[in-house]
Amino acid sequence: MKISLKWLQQYVELTVAPEDLAHRLTMAGFEIEDIEYQGSVYDKFVVGEVLEVNKHPKADRLTVCKVNTGTEVVQIVCGAPNVAVGQRVPVGLSGAVIPHNQHDPEGKPFALSHVKLRGVDSFGMICSAHELGLGDDKDGIMVFDAHAKVGAPLAQYLGKDDIIFEVGITPNRPDAMSHFGIAREVAALLDVKANLPKFQLKESDVSVQQHAKILIEDTENCPRYSGRVMFNVNVADSPKWLQNYLLAIGLRPVNNVVDITNYVLMELGHPLHAFDYDTLAGKTIVVKRAKQGEKFTTLDHKERTLTGDTLMICDGERSIGVAGVMGGENTEITHATKNVLLESAYFNPASIRRTSKYLGISTDASQRFERGANPNVTTFALDRATALLQELCGAKVLKGTIDVYPVPVKPKRVPLRIGRTNRVLGTSLTKDDITTLLNKIELTSIPSTNSPSRDEVMIEAPTFRVDIEREIDVIEEVARVYGYDNIQTDARANLSFYEHPPKKDFSDEIRDWLIGRGCKEVVANSMCDIETAAVTSKDFVEVANPISKDMAALRTSTIPGMLNIVRNNIFHGSKDIRLFEIGRIYFKTNSQAHKNSDSFVPGYYEENRLAIAFSGLSNPRHWNEQPRQTTLFDLKGELEAFFCKLFLDNYKFIPYSTDNSLTDSGLVIHLSGKESGYVGKIRPEIMKRYEIEQDVFVAEISIPNLEIARECERTYRPLPKYPSALRDVAIVIDEEISVETLTMAIRESGGPLLKQIELFDIYRGNQIAAGKKSCAISLEFNSEEQTLAQEQIDTIVTSILNHLQVTLNASLRT
Amino acid sequence: MHEAIETLKRSALAELSTSGDLQALEHFRISYLARKGQIAELFDKLKDAPPEQKPALGKALNEMRRSIESQFEEKKARLETGQKKKSIHLDLTLPGLRPWVGSKHPITQTLDEIKRIFLGMGFQVETGPEIEDDYHNFGALNFPPDHPARDMQDTFFISNDVVLRTHTSPVQIRVMETQKPPIRALIPGRVYRNEAISARSYCLFHQVEGLYVDTNVTFAELKGTLVAFAKQFYGSSLKYRFRPSFFPFTEPSAEMDITCFLCKAKGCRVCKNTGWLEILGCGMVDPNVFQSVNYDPEMYTGYAFGMGIERIAMLRYGIDDIRILFENDIRFLSQF
Ligand SMILES: [Zn+2]
Repeated sequence: MKISLKWLQQYVELTVAPEDLAHRLTMAGFEIEDIEYQGSVYDKFVVGEVLEVNKHPKADRLTVCKVNTGTEVVQIVCGAPNVAVGQRVPVGLSGAVIPHNQHDPEGKPFALSHVKLRGVDSFGMICSAHELGLGDDKDGIMVFDAHAKVGAPLAQYLGKDDIIFEVGITPNRPDAMSHFGIAREVAALLDVKANLPKFQLKESDVSVQQHAKILIEDTENCPRYSGRVMFNVNVADSPKWLQNYLLAIGLRPVNNVVDITNYVLMELGHPLHAFDYDTLAGKTIVVKRAKQGEKFTTLDHKERTLTGDTLMICDGERSIGVAGVMGGENTEITHATKNVLLESAYFNPASIRRTSKYLGISTDASQRFERGANPNVTTFALDRATALLQELCGAKVLKGTIDVYPVPVKPKRVPLRIGRTNRVLGTSLTKDDITTLLNKIELTSIPSTNSPSRDEVMIEAPTFRVDIEREIDVIEEVARVYGYDNIQTDARANLSFYEHPPKKDFSDEIRDWLIGRGCKEVVANSMCDIETAAVTSKDFVEVANPISKDMAALRTSTIPGMLNIVRNNIFHGSKDIRLFEIGRIYFKTNSQAHKNSDSFVPGYYEENRLAIAFSGLSNPRHWNEQPRQTTLFDLKGELEAFFCKLFLDNYKFIPYSTDNSLTDSGLVIHLSGKESGYVGKIRPEIMKRYEIEQDVFVAEISIPNLEIARECERTYRPLPKYPSALRDVAIVIDEEISVETLTMAIRESGGPLLKQIELFDIYRGNQIAAGKKSCAISLEFNSEEQTLAQEQIDTIVTSILNHLQVTLNASLRT
Repeated sequence: MHEAIETLKRSALAELSTSGDLQALEHFRISYLARKGQIAELFDKLKDAPPEQKPALGKALNEMRRSIESQFEEKKARLETGQKKKSIHLDLTLPGLRPWVGSKHPITQTLDEIKRIFLGMGFQVETGPEIEDDYHNFGALNFPPDHPARDMQDTFFISNDVVLRTHTSPVQIRVMETQKPPIRALIPGRVYRNEAISARSYCLFHQVEGLYVDTNVTFAELKGTLVAFAKQFYGSSLKYRFRPSFFPFTEPSAEMDITCFLCKAKGCRVCKNTGWLEILGCGMVDPNVFQSVNYDPEMYTGYAFGMGIERIAMLRYGIDDIRILFENDIRFLSQF
């Protein structure tokens, strides 16, 4: 909230500079987020006195003036017709910035400097109201009161020299949401006293009891209701000083009655509400809950539908205000208002918050009530406002206050252990230190009757400190007043070690590998539109209150987000893509497997996925190599290399039998027999939707499955003692037979000595029959017992070839 | 026979050494190494040798042939390169054949750096779900229902009592529900806030949170740990301060500021002319939090701290718009 230092000074003497005060408040937990120097606009402007006015030698419309600025006499060329000797005028000196340039079509500000006007030196400017941003008068210079002090800073003369603090007040400190509340903190910081405003109130002889009744039906949600009635209230504009205070903290003046309630709210932090007394049926106030579905029009002229839970202020017949949130249109103060009933009540914070949330109205009043107002300040705030109404609106105040307060709230008492305080903070404060600190903020120690231990002290907190309920709340106050910076920095970490082994972060390993392989990591939004989420799973999770339609669901695949990134990069000219992401996807689930897991909320499942996208050139352009476009085998090979690096021996790539929703030609990845992802080429329809015109290959793999598949300890295998023998064969098979089938058939028939099978060439052409392909394969044989003889290898190769011939109708290419 | 092998070897090597160009070398090859050359002739004679000597002679012959072959190849290669050097100029200033260069996202880099420091202090990484229930995200963390503290974090709801977590703190609860003290957990993760997207805020960001619970953990120790972290991360010359703040799940609560390293504490736009940068929030674990996980608050105390990774990355790299972190433009990623 905004705090005006001028206003604050009414209650506490500010013995330090504003910047120092800002620092101290910040260090006490009231962060000063911004300091606004109102007067800075009028920097280098002073009140000047016109000493001489002479004709300009070369221009009839200009005059050459001598002006006393308090410290010197300067020569100023002036074009205003009304300038005259003896006037007190606003003078901008060299370096001042004129807020409004009258000669500029847009009125842009400009800085003053020493100029020559038609050959005559001019060292400043005498300004019009329009130029200063103080009004519309642009025909002549502004002329001040003859008593204006010559040389005074203009901001000071105009009363626009206030300094405004933007204070960040944490939700636990509603007591500080006012000028007096901040004054209390300032007093504690500066070791001075904060004084409540003083006022006088003259009551008439007529008792208020004869003219109004107050009845609380719901005392749980309204523990106290105080009211006063006053007659002959003259509703008009507020005086300038009051308007200036409100304007300084960003409030718009309305009329004197409303302005006074706002002023007292900002002064004492207690919300008040004024009703037009003559509109009150039965001159009665009843506090009760609304009827379910009741319609009510609030001050902002909006019709609201209420729930049976809404606490209402009613008169003898109808609702007249939503308690603690906003008054009703039907009893609003208008210029016709003559008589006023002023409310100063205390409402249950939870009730006000529910209403405020439900109606979607947050007001200065509701913000204070829902955080917790002070039930024991209602009558003081009421009297303060009433006195101002009497002073500024001529109100005739009826005698007495109607104060319904069945169960008065008493100050809270909290026992505080000195030892515990020091144990939590790491301090060594004595009982005296602690009570002295707490006394500064009105937390007093109470001599206890039931002989407390020497370690304990009973602390009583005033009722405005709604945040103090437990010992730890008091310990925090000890720390705050002592100063966090005065608590030593104990770098001796009290080391106790975990017993269970640390989790290895598998994602880090994946990331490092892929980065080494030339891929760039991306971090994408995990929210997407419903249509996108639905493409990859019907079990998508919807957001009940999304920011926009584009983010109404959680993603069920990492690929659409990746495609957006690919598209944007291509659009910006980066056409060669090697990107990856490690990120989560989200589902609703009824699966028992996930239900019993205590790491997810029942009904939901999240999984970490690895997404990779390749597109464009397979390698950077080289001066001695032909560039080649990426193919599916680049990405598949990248995965094979990675699986090899992880020593996965139980993985399989199985070509799709039917199309996947995002990709067409591609393969499903099985890890340890479990379907765990896929690699493929993005379908043309999807490419069109994302406006991508070059082939994009993607892979998505479940990281938990990957982690399970590789969960095996590595143990050393002795190196082969005897050299391996290599044998190359070219096998001709039907085009339809996959290389994988061929490899498996070789594996089946190769026996234990066959260690490696490597395809190194495929040939189709006129040297072999149509519809056939020749696969050149290198076979590696090795024995643990001996160097293999040619004849042994021949035997194995022959048996492989026989097997291939029988099972695949394969032949050896000769 | 052994002598014949030796003699042939000597004469071959002598001739090889005098073959000064590729043409002479070809003569040498035909004379010695070709199918009908002198070495092959010697092999032919092997079949007439006595059977018991055959293995030893065969071995000697093979060795001799291999030796001459390798020296021949070596010489040939030398002569060939020499010739090439004369005909083609090899420009060694040509660029190398570079592969693609990868990069780690700046958010990950920043998190890695933070992790490295805290792991060194004995913290261990823990994670939890992003779809979280109201209890773990709020209730157990001492945000009572109908309490204004809930307004501190604009929340995305999935249903009445399921939310997208607004902070990583629910993982504190999950860790304490399943483990006994001492606990030293470091909790990184993605969190969500229902705020309008702008240069300063995005609908999601990443936090890293620390939790330490043991007997006799003090506020002084919290300060010590975080100062040690800040000095390692931002440099040992920085100044710091702790100011009181409010979080429902810690008490006392604090915010830690360090001197602005962008303007050397002189005041700039980023530090709003204060010379200070807020880097993290922290505090002593509130007894109510311990009660919700059945820890005895009289026996254990603890501290928790948390920071926004994007904010730290932005300060670190001078990034002024959070959205660029999520655009993943390759021209941006290549800078890290
Ligand atoms: Zn700075």
